[in-house]
Amino acid sequence: MEKEMIICRCEEITYGKLVETANTYNCTSRELKLRTRAGMGYCGGRTCRNMVDSIAYSSSERISTEITLKYQPPIRPISFGDLGAVER
Amino acid sequence: MSKVIIIGAGPAGLSAAITIAENGLDVLVLDEYMIAGGRLLGQLYEEPNGNWWNGIKESQKLYEKAVELGVKIYLNTPVSNIEKIDDTWVIYTNTETYTTSHLLLATGAAEAPLPIPGWTLPGVMSVGAAQVMTNVHRVKPGYHGVIIGVNVLSSAIAMELKLAGIGVECIALPKMNKVTKESGNPMDVMNSLLHVSHMAPSTFVKLGSKLMKNEFMKKLGISFFPKSGVKMWDIPIMLRKAVIEIYGDGKVEGVKVATISPTGEVIAGTEEKIGADFVCIAGGLYPLAELAAVAGCPFYHIEELGGYIPLHNERMETTLDGLYVAGNITGIEGAKVAISQGITAGLSIIHNYGLSNQEAAIQAAIHHIEQTRKEAFIQFHPAVKEGKQKLKQHWENHRNSKKLEILS
Repeated sequence: MEKEMIICRCEEITYGKLVETANTYNCTSRELKLRTRAGMGYCGGRTCRNMVDSIAYSSSERISTEITLKYQPPIRPISFGDLGAVER
Repeated sequence: MSKVIIIGAGPAGLSAAITIAENGLDVLVLDEYMIAGGRLLGQLYEEPNGNWWNGIKESQKLYEKAVELGVKIYLNTPVSNIEKIDDTWVIYTNTETYTTSHLLLATGAAEAPLPIPGWTLPGVMSVGAAQVMTNVHRVKPGYHGVIIGVNVLSSAIAMELKLAGIGVECIALPKMNKVTKESGNPMDVMNSLLHVSHMAPSTFVKLGSKLMKNEFMKKLGISFFPKSGVKMWDIPIMLRKAVIEIYGDGKVEGVKVATISPTGEVIAGTEEKIGADFVCIAGGLYPLAELAAVAGCPFYHIEELGGYIPLHNERMETTLDGLYVAGNITGIEGAKVAISQGITAGLSIIHNYGLSNQEAAIQAAIHHIEQTRKEAFIQFHPAVKEGKQKLKQHWENHRNSKKLEILS
């Protein structure tokens, strides 16, 4: 039941998948993200960021001197039109 | 180009705007929400002196004062990016781009979720969402709900829901897993509740604090904690039951709870169902620092302050020229602390702008933050002060390393 629980809704990555990957590779949250795609969906990790961090740091030590899951602009959803529409 | 831009129209942002406008600088405030006030909007509680603290009224007062002073406030305006080009901060929103030399980030906090099987069902929401629906939009999130996560925020909001005539079946722990961790451990939750005992308006917590002076009594307290919970405002608070699943066909119909051991292990065969038409998840708050990260501020993870904090000093200056922070982005605390931080940031901006010397006022404002922190009605972490001390040390180290760089 818990294994199938969705953690990253955008990419549909489950708790089971994240825990298994974290255990196999003893990895940082960044590596966990890159291996599973959790946090790489259209919301930019706004929902699952902390959970991915928590799972990673239950099998490796937290890096406390930097943000491990990078923030990328745009940090809020923005339409292509608003981003760079060209008037014709 | 605006003289000063503030991102976030909560208690910190608005107080800063008022302080700056009072000193004659024009200010632009941007906020993604449709109403000014930020998290202050949701707050409603009775203070020990019998006065009611109504967040909507407090927000309105701040908003009206700022507008009267000529502050421009654009709502419904999310900022998607900021960057520094030469000596100018460029602020990108969906439709417009703004520029300034002095930028204050007062973006507040966000809620952390606690994953529980079934948490993606419609009808599951963060406890803050239920608070905003009820207090701000005056819409009932449902008729009878269950709150998962026992902490200061969830018990305060449970009381607010009750005031609005919404049933709360119980407040219970989440089943312990690699994300919920301490929030699912009865002993850890008990410890975190004890420090708020002197200020929480609940007999449950007050009673607990007197009994739980030592570890032995705490263990005893947890072992003998009534399985049906202890009632607060008629809502059972369950420290020995955890929600193991949220169930429903297409929408929330209820939760499955099970009795847990004092260390949070589920005891097999104790499962039971509690019906509910909505479920709130209360995983606590963390500083919303996306823009500070995009700008390139150094960060430190400080547990006592609720997460990753952009490095800043007591004057609310970050390590980047012309970039300031105030409010919950600097650590999770109450609205009154946020207001005093906003005032301090405002004074620093006026001072750095070179309009007038504000040194004495800044020192007084810094002192006032500490005073407000000491007298705070709600404290989100028992060791906020120690967390601030850690940050101060990081700031000193950063400054010293910069000095060495210049020398070598």
